[in-house]
Amino acid sequence: MADTLDLQDIQGLIIRGYGNLKAACYILLEISTPPPAKIWLSALADTIATGQTGQGEKALNVAFTYAGIKKLGLEPKILAMFSNEFINGMAIPHRSLLLGDVEESSPEQWMWGGSGTRPIDMVLMLFAVDDRELSDVYNTYAKTFTANGLTEVLKLDTVDLGNKEHFGFHDGVSQPVMEGSPQTETPMNTIKAGEFLLGYPNEYGLYTDRPTIKPAMDPKSLLPRDSSGSGNADLGRNGSYLVFRQLRQDVRGFWQFSDEATKNPDGSSNPTARIKLASQMVGRWPSGAPLLKTPQQDDQQLADANDFAYYQSDPCGYNCPIGAHVRRANPRDSLDPQPGSEQSIAVGKRHRILRRGREYGPPVDPAELLTVKKPNAEDQDRGLHFLCLNANISRQFEFIQHTWINNPHFDELYDDADPIVGTHYPDGGTFTMQAKPVRKRVTGLPRFVSVVGGAYFFMPGIRAIRYLANPTRAGLAPALVMPEKETKR
Amino acid sequence: MTHQVGLTIITEIKAGEGEDIKQLLKAMSDNVVCNSVIPFGKFSNIHFARLFVLDESIDLNGRVIPPSLVFMSECDAPLNRHLNELVDIAGEGLDKIYSHCVDYINLSEITRKRRLAYLRSKMVNASAYYVNTVGRTVQQIRQESQLRNAIQDFLDHAQQDWSGNSSLEVRAKIQAYIRSERTLNWARKPPAQPGLFFKLKEALHLVGMPLLVLVLLPVLIPAFPIWLLLLRIHELSDAAPHLKPDDAHIQELTDLEDLVAQNQFGAVGYVKPGWFRQLTVWGILLAANYGTRHIFNKENLAGVKTIHFARWVVLNEKRRVIFASNYDGSLESYMDDFIDKVAWGLNAVFSNGVGFPRTNWLIFDGAKNEQAFKDHLRIHQIPTQVWYSAYDHLTALNIANNAKIRAGLYSKMSETKAEEWLRLL
Repeated sequence: MADTLDLQDIQGLIIRGYGNLKAACYILLEISTPPPAKIWLSALADTIATGQTGQGEKALNVAFTYAGIKKLGLEPKILAMFSNEFINGMAIPHRSLLLGDVEESSPEQWMWGGSGTRPIDMVLMLFAVDDRELSDVYNTYAKTFTANGLTEVLKLDTVDLGNKEHFGFHDGVSQPVMEGSPQTETPMNTIKAGEFLLGYPNEYGLYTDRPTIKPAMDPKSLLPRDSSGSGNADLGRNGSYLVFRQLRQDVRGFWQFSDEATKNPDGSSNPTARIKLASQMVGRWPSGAPLLKTPQQDDQQLADANDFAYYQSDPCGYNCPIGAHVRRANPRDSLDPQPGSEQSIAVGKRHRILRRGREYGPPVDPAELLTVKKPNAEDQDRGLHFLCLNANISRQFEFIQHTWINNPHFDELYDDADPIVGTHYPDGGTFTMQAKPVRKRVTGLPRFVSVVGGAYFFMPGIRAIRYLANPTRAGLAPALVMPEKETKR
Repeated sequence: MTHQVGLTIITEIKAGEGEDIKQLLKAMSDNVVCNSVIPFGKFSNIHFARLFVLDESIDLNGRVIPPSLVFMSECDAPLNRHLNELVDIAGEGLDKIYSHCVDYINLSEITRKRRLAYLRSKMVNASAYYVNTVGRTVQQIRQESQLRNAIQDFLDHAQQDWSGNSSLEVRAKIQAYIRSERTLNWARKPPAQPGLFFKLKEALHLVGMPLLVLVLLPVLIPAFPIWLLLLRIHELSDAAPHLKPDDAHIQELTDLEDLVAQNQFGAVGYVKPGWFRQLTVWGILLAANYGTRHIFNKENLAGVKTIHFARWVVLNEKRRVIFASNYDGSLESYMDDFIDKVAWGLNAVFSNGVGFPRTNWLIFDGAKNEQAFKDHLRIHQIPTQVWYSAYDHLTALNIANNAKIRAGLYSKMSETKAEEWLRLL
């Protein structure tokens, strides 16, 4: 039986990216005094945008790190039911190795979420139609932090670059759609809700591990029931794990490298070849048009083309290189067993994520970067606040990052980590472009994208937030929240 | 002789000396290639090697199984040469290790011969042994990697742009270059093949086993329904609780993972009590051994192409089984491969082990219960204190591709065939 999505209990960001809300910021908070913070949270629960909230002027969503959830006072036995990745966090040594967070990307260097930085308990995500509205919303909330036992650690701003990212490419074209959600997509891109939401069947037809609670511990029935039929209350249902990574982009480095690698024999730049090489590394042209469909030049008409498979029409990578960023981040039908088959697509469906990232830092014009010297604009920190949602961090985000993106041996390659976001070491990576009569390749690829902060969060359902804020308070939240005595169990 | 053999040496550790051995292994692992105990880099015929401690354990009847040390290596035949090299290159190192184990020679009476005899006396045969590609030696793998690198460098530097050439022309230029390189002279000849005696033995096994089954059919046919009935009874009543691995255990394991392109996996578990499971696991391993020797002996274990070597070793009077393998990528991707591609095979073997997720008719469900299966593997996984790979930057697919490059280098080709060959680069 298909389980319908409880849209009113699912935080809005899981259902949509708020394309109409052009301004956004993420506030990283520390819970310094839990009791008032819980009361604050309980009131906040009423204002969180859900999957059912209409397209308004603003939206607010919230997620917690393991440290944060712990401070809200769950029992150790329940805490232990969260996933190992979430519990241990993004910055432990083995995970850094797995994710390629080494050298300049190592957590010791991070601005937040790393080993030497202030602890982060939660993130408040604010979205608004424009910057003025956003700043109003922000101020409203910021005023309440101190009095409610919260400390702002860092405010991360974002910038609206239209649909481009800083390197100058159309981003976010391909997104999976959750089965049961309002959007529709091709079958290849329609994924079981349980891949993104806890408490629903996933692509294996199973329920991903999550904290469930004996009904006696939820006397007021605040939580949804476990739909797998255990009879327990489901703290995970309608929640999702949020992966948050601040990725700094070396825009100048990227375009300089592409320029150097494509210079004419006389040493002059070749803009056409430069853009082509950069596009081959991405797998799409700046407009977004897939190289698979138009390998020779950009084509605005195809900017949002997404209904294609790789192996089926380009098994050898002559159109879109095997190692191109988009071909490895979502290989579609490329991989074993039997590339080009339904079976291959089915395996791919177990490794998808919902991306919800936004850019930060002032934009630069790549062409200008190469010709005009404007040191001020260049020195600015810019990049992507990479946000993605998934139900199983290790099988989804981490698998994509390790086995596809950062794997120099991806799909029979040898030394080709992702040309755009991959970790290249020790002496630079290789990027191979399959061609007739024989492959072309560029070597000595430096790192263009480095990690400067990050954490794993849990984005609970609205009812779960109410439970976390006050597990024994009854039913729906009252309009006015009165401070009340902490009840001890 | 170019086929591969797996050496397993299991020795009981003297009471109270487990920690000393672990310290020694830790020191070795800091420099596995040229440590002073067993400098693995000096062996020209070892593909992979490992040493790990099996801690003291209480069996299902409450009996104590003392701790033991396991040494495993995957090497090119003959085994004799490998054993001799071990005592010749690492004689004193072996003393250091095995003086912590029972039955080792008195240090004042050590001779080369006695060391050798000790190793032989502690050897255990694997019940099933998988080799990615039977007959591919360490030397061949290394040489073919060198060949590919040479061709790649040549393509990068000999010409700015190859697009004006036909496939046959490009190939001819590569051939001419390789011919001109003295160090690549060997590439003119095809790689050596496994010896005649080995081939004969394999052919006999290939035919002999089915013949034996045929002869036994009058017994097997009536026995089968009974076995199936017993299987169902066991499957439905065996406990299969979904347990979570301990956090500290996971950390100890992951500290040893994902350092190079390949990883090691080692796990140990008890066979479920009773003769039925013992008999079943014996039969399944017999079948698995047949499968790996004759069906899955070239670059592919039932759809999984990322395993270099794997083996099952039965120990402690058939009460326990060790599974050990060398594979590419992360454990997460390895387990996903298991679930997506060979769940049936894993179920058939591992469902005879205590705690495995419930199967149906031996091969269904079980590993398909994703998280229960992954947790089960992690719980039974053992830290491998010392692990060596002779070519840790190459995946099994890379090795297979390199072999194809070499195989096609001088054969006669049409333009289309040449185009296909160039795609390997």
